[in-house]
Amino acid sequence: MRKIHLVRDLLDNQLRDAGGQNAGRVDGIVLELREGEPPRVGYAEVGPITLARRLNHRLGDWVARLDRRLGEDRGAPFRVPISRISGFGTDLRLDLHADGTPIFAVERWLRTHVVRHIPGSE
Amino acid sequence: MKKLLQVGLGIVTSVGGFLEIGSIATAAEAGAAFRYQLLWAVLLGTICILLLVEMSGRFAAVAQHTIPDAMRARFGFHFFLVPLVLVLLVSLLVLASEIGGICIALELMTGIHFPWWAVPAALASWALLWYGTFGLIENGVSLLGLLAVVFVVAAVKLGPDYHSAASALVPTLPRSQPSRYWFLAVSIIGASVSPSLFYFYGSGAIEEKWDASYLGANRAIATLGMGFGGFLSMAVLVAAALVFAPRSIQVEQYQQLPQLLTTPLGRWGFWLFAVTLLITCLGATLEISLALAYQVAQGFGWNWGEDHRPGGDARFSLTFSLVLLAAMPLMLVGIDPLKLTMLSMALTSASLPVAILPFLVLMNDREYLGEHTNRHAGNIAVLLISVLASVLAIVSIPLEIFGGS
Repeated sequence: MRKIHLVRDLLDNQLRDAGGQNAGRVDGIVLELREGEPPRVGYAEVGPITLARRLNHRLGDWVARLDRRLGEDRGAPFRVPISRISGFGTDLRLDLHADGTPIFAVERWLRTHVVRHIPGSE
Repeated sequence: MKKLLQVGLGIVTSVGGFLEIGSIATAAEAGAAFRYQLLWAVLLGTICILLLVEMSGRFAAVAQHTIPDAMRARFGFHFFLVPLVLVLLVSLLVLASEIGGICIALELMTGIHFPWWAVPAALASWALLWYGTFGLIENGVSLLGLLAVVFVVAAVKLGPDYHSAASALVPTLPRSQPSRYWFLAVSIIGASVSPSLFYFYGSGAIEEKWDASYLGANRAIATLGMGFGGFLSMAVLVAAALVFAPRSIQVEQYQQLPQLLTTPLGRWGFWLFAVTLLITCLGATLEISLALAYQVAQGFGWNWGEDHRPGGDARFSLTFSLVLLAAMPLMLVGIDPLKLTMLSMALTSASLPVAILPFLVLMNDREYLGEHTNRHAGNIAVLLISVLASVLAIVSIPLEIFGGS
């Protein structure tokens, strides 16, 4: 059985989605604590809310409030089940297309609200 | 054949990227104040950037990762923020100096005072980045940057004493003005060894899809490109030593700089100086803006690349736009470009270890580089030069600003 070091091989590493795009980095790791059993690695969190919370809780709450404006069901960190991630080490693969997910929410918002208004950008 | 062409192009772009307002201004002031004596600082800076550029290309080719990307993965987000913020702050000052260089060139050509040119210069640079492609920027601007060879013509025509120049490649202690001497030495090193340059080079290698078969090409490009770039800086210093020093002229104003070429080449020299300054500073402006956007995008795991349309990489494209927007006002309010350049080059020197030491750790990581990790000699040379330059800068910057010798 291969051993994985959560901080070295997972946290802060680059994610590539099923289409080969850069799909953010593992900004946080969520462990599930279970009664009478060892904790289990549940999710990887990707996105600015998690990243900001690592620096400072107030900053994180502020980023979450901004994020809430980007659409419905927003304002919470985006979680990817750990089972969708493979290739632990320097190249992490994400077994889904990140395009429609909140990983690209800020990118999509900037495309439609800022870049589209600059001529010749499509 | 294709590789040979790439090597040639790589050398040209490296040379074109080397000389800009920083190396011209620092070499000119050093030549005016200390004749050939500070040539060793150019040599030391060139050796250091040559090694760093080779390492950065090797890392990209073998590990298929960029430096900021690996730095965050290895050292974590908190640590990553330190070099990110520091390099960003110092590079913004350097970027403002480069925009200043474009403005000075335009002032020389038109007589219109430089702050008026800040907005047009930043806007034109932005448009090239927004609408242009990596090839256009890298190759086009850098090819034109080869015009800087004119400094070699000028230096030779002024009839330098080659023996004294060669002996100045070994460091010596100053006979007078020690604080000025060391300040100029670290400014020269800071002008050569800019973190944005070797970060940029590694990103370029990834964009051009280098693999381990490019290691030889990488070595050739780094050695010849940076070597020849350093040679051009030396030519500026030698020209300044022959133009300014015999008349005891100190270079205190940017309006004096064209004399480097007008003295040996006459009226043509004036226009050649203005055009060379314009092109090389434009190249540096584009390069630094891109390098900073690369660093941010790679650190946060976004898509990045100069060849994508801005609509495809909105975050990346808006980052380089914001970087230009943040640097431009320094010129708009009319800060003296020459003073800002000297200070930002010295600050670059002071900040070197923060950008370089974590990079050296990565260059010795077998998980990324396998058998292609650094050798001891490279580690030690880069470590010594960057720490030495930093210590000297931290001591000499306050002395330069607040006076005292």
